[in-house]
Amino acid sequence: MSLLELLGLLPVLILVGASTALLMAGAWWPNFRRLLQIGIGAALLAAVVAVAYTPPLPEVGNLYATSLLPRLFTALWSLTAAAVLLLSLRYGVSRRFDGGVYSSLVLFAAAGMALLSSSSSLFGLFLGLEAYTLVLYILIAFDRTCPQGAEAGLKYLVPGAIATGLLAFGISLIYVAAGTLHLPEAATASLAAGTLRPVALLGWLLLMGAVGFKISLVPFHLWTPDVYQGAPLPITTLLATGSKGAVLAGALPLFAALGPARMEQSELLWLLAAATMLIGTLCALPQQNIKRLLAYSSMVHMGYLLTGLIAGSPAGDASVAFYLVVYTVASIGAFGLLISMSDAAGERQDLSTLTGVAWRHPVRATLLGLFLLSLAGLPPTAGFIGKFGLFLAAIDAGYTGLALIGILASLVSVAYYIRVVMVMFARSDDSPTLPATVASEGIVIALCVAGVLLLGIYPGPLLDLLQPLF
Amino acid sequence: MTGLDPTFPWLTILLLLPVAGALLCMAAAHSPDGARRIALVTTFAVFVISLGLFVAANPAAGRWFFFEDAPWITRFGIRYTIGLDGLNLLMILLTGFLQVVAVLISWPVKRHVPFFFALLLVMETGVLGVFLALDLVLFYLFWEVMLVPMFLLIFVWGHHNRVAAALKFFLFTLAGSLLMLVGIIALHVIHRDQTGVATFALDALRTTQLDGATSMWLFAAFAVAFLIKVPIVPLHTWLPDAHTEAPTAGSVDLAGLLLKTGAYAMLRFGLYLFPAAAARSLNLLAILALIGLFHAAWAAYVQTDIKRLIAYSSVAHLGLVVLGFAAWDAVALQGSLLLMLAHGITTGGLFALVAMLEARTGTRQLEVLGGLWRCAPKLSAFFLLFALSSLGLPGLANFSGEFLILLGAFRTQPIWGVLAMCGVVFAAAYMLRMLRGVLWGPSGQAVYCHDLTGREYAILLPMTVFLLWLGLYPQTFLVPLQPAVALLLGGAP
Repeated sequence: MSLLELLGLLPVLILVGASTALLMAGAWWPNFRRLLQIGIGAALLAAVVAVAYTPPLPEVGNLYATSLLPRLFTALWSLTAAAVLLLSLRYGVSRRFDGGVYSSLVLFAAAGMALLSSSSSLFGLFLGLEAYTLVLYILIAFDRTCPQGAEAGLKYLVPGAIATGLLAFGISLIYVAAGTLHLPEAATASLAAGTLRPVALLGWLLLMGAVGFKISLVPFHLWTPDVYQGAPLPITTLLATGSKGAVLAGALPLFAALGPARMEQSELLWLLAAATMLIGTLCALPQQNIKRLLAYSSMVHMGYLLTGLIAGSPAGDASVAFYLVVYTVASIGAFGLLISMSDAAGERQDLSTLTGVAWRHPVRATLLGLFLLSLAGLPPTAGFIGKFGLFLAAIDAGYTGLALIGILASLVSVAYYIRVVMVMFARSDDSPTLPATVASEGIVIALCVAGVLLLGIYPGPLLDLLQPLF
Repeated sequence: MTGLDPTFPWLTILLLLPVAGALLCMAAAHSPDGARRIALVTTFAVFVISLGLFVAANPAAGRWFFFEDAPWITRFGIRYTIGLDGLNLLMILLTGFLQVVAVLISWPVKRHVPFFFALLLVMETGVLGVFLALDLVLFYLFWEVMLVPMFLLIFVWGHHNRVAAALKFFLFTLAGSLLMLVGIIALHVIHRDQTGVATFALDALRTTQLDGATSMWLFAAFAVAFLIKVPIVPLHTWLPDAHTEAPTAGSVDLAGLLLKTGAYAMLRFGLYLFPAAAARSLNLLAILALIGLFHAAWAAYVQTDIKRLIAYSSVAHLGLVVLGFAAWDAVALQGSLLLMLAHGITTGGLFALVAMLEARTGTRQLEVLGGLWRCAPKLSAFFLLFALSSLGLPGLANFSGEFLILLGAFRTQPIWGVLAMCGVVFAAAYMLRMLRGVLWGPSGQAVYCHDLTGREYAILLPMTVFLLWLGLYPQTFLVPLQPAVALLLGGAP
């Protein structure tokens, strides 16, 4: 690999380099706060480099693209990692997390997500996906004092391993049919008419299955609520945002590569999207545990995103990218508030522990309500513009039925989001006292609020930035 | 007439003022009195501007009295277009006026005061935006902005059955509005495929060529959303619950403003966007309106909770307004717009009076109340006045509007006029029953203590002035409507 190629991966190298250094440093210098702060700095640096620096080569090693879109995603996941570390500053201290290992793993996860979002070859895709999945196995079970953590780690490991198997097998079948793993050739060649076409189709099917596991589409979703519930909240944040978003970001070039063949996949995907939106919505309705509720709601959001992907138009792809940003910001905000509400005694997972919280902590309750309304897609939040773009693209492409299912799911989703708001604003004589917010949490939440409102009221610049990239 | 400079963005100021006031209220979180004053000053400023706009409105100056247009989300062709013409002029005035009333009537609210007033102000922005917006997405945005504050007002400050009522209100309205969103997107896509122009502008979308079935479906999607809000029977079941459980300001706003947004939107968007489909639906609309008129009058007659009774009377009055639309006649339409304003004042006043009554007696039940005139004659006099206006006594606000609607309905379909006339008689029946139960008869178990206070006078006297003005000289309010109504009728069925 030449130096020029290395420069193309500069943001990822920063992340991985810092990750390794932190792992080493943590062994000798167990200062939790400092180690996390260094990790935050490295993640921010990677984000800045990804946006500001244009690499000399368009592609690295026939594996990873370095165009603007992958770099924007790299920046998004780096910022997500920075947010997760910022949100862990107080949370991790009270749980005696090992700072070096923790920040190292979070940065490594971000590097994996960045690689997945930039992959221009099926092999690169596999590498990126495995890189951060492996890290997440550890991170989910990171809180050794929490018995559910180990359970959640195991529950993520088993389906994850199966998904890896499916993915590897699928990719190898596609390779058999196409003779290459590079996109878009692998897609076009494998699906060209010929004797090997059925093999390739089986390969694509397995690949879809693996993707379905990772972004928890029905029927591959059963691990989601348990893992969300058992993982430490900052890691749940990462699971809900980067881990799922990166797969979809990686799927964008994959689907673009399919070209006209995309239509063939769309019937299957239509079914997956519809089932995910409907079942996710129905499962979220009775939840009393807010982490499980958000787990099911994240599934529904994957269904919305898939709707945009199925539309198969540049406008649809652009709206998927836009919604990924919006969904990530709102999710980080919502989880960030939940983190700020948990203390050494534990997380406030049960909805009933938030009864009347608005009357002692009006700002935090209102903001959590705002993020949930953004997830529900009510204007003037960013969630509305995001969903508007997705459903517009779907209706545009003739998938009116799917858009209607999505809108129906949005309607019902309001019922469970508003239930959280109702609990928080319930009249109560004994509203709970929350721990005071620390500066690091405040910064993340404030930025997310700004993002949700700004992208809802003035989304033009981001939309105009994303559109030409497809 | 001289007045406001039409090049200055008055409408934007109007929209931003309440939001600014809401933020200030939240900033004054630890001073309930501060929040009350901020809310009063803000709503009063909005009222002054809306009054200024009303005075400055010049029917000869062209279609729009005030108009603002700027690109907003160019990627989707969404623009920030707001305008003031004859259709929404009275609604803006009503919003400005009633919100001051709502703030004054909420002065005794004890629980979480800054938050309460902040919500009230955010809702004002939503309502004003709905009345002013001329871009469909912008309209949808404001339509939703109204929703959450009203939901929270009912949910937090409502009476004991508030949770179910708030949810019912929320889900009914949201179901309708999402249906409308589908309609908006579909219309946009069809228009873009025809012309190649991506736009959500009202006037542009109106020129879309639609075949019969598509046009009917889209019209239905819009109409259902609006008719839920109006509400028209059989989509009205959320309203009595929401009214009964809402705090007084919530009831005033619900009856005075939120119902009007539905009726107004029906006129501005539903009937205007799909003239062909609308023409074919007018009969159905009239039948629904008449059923609503009778059903609501009947239901009102048997209510024992006076708040619920007035809520049903709202359904009946709005049925009459919709009948005016269905008549599709210049006189009837002017009558509908006038009745919308009059109903806002009358019913808003009645809800305010019920709140004053409840504050004194602790009950709203007809069988417990009675003999109010002996203990509080001044309060009773106002109660009588507003109730008489509500039953359509000539010389008071509702009469002029109702008369014009009946006249227009006679001109279109005499049988509609005859039936509606009977419905208006029903109104007399339930209103008089309420008056007898509250003002006269034995005083029951309720104990009354005092007559009107200064704050209550400050609420009731301006409303009374409005009431009489509308009843005695409605011309002031009718003249600016005429060009807009003519324009609406000119191009449509």
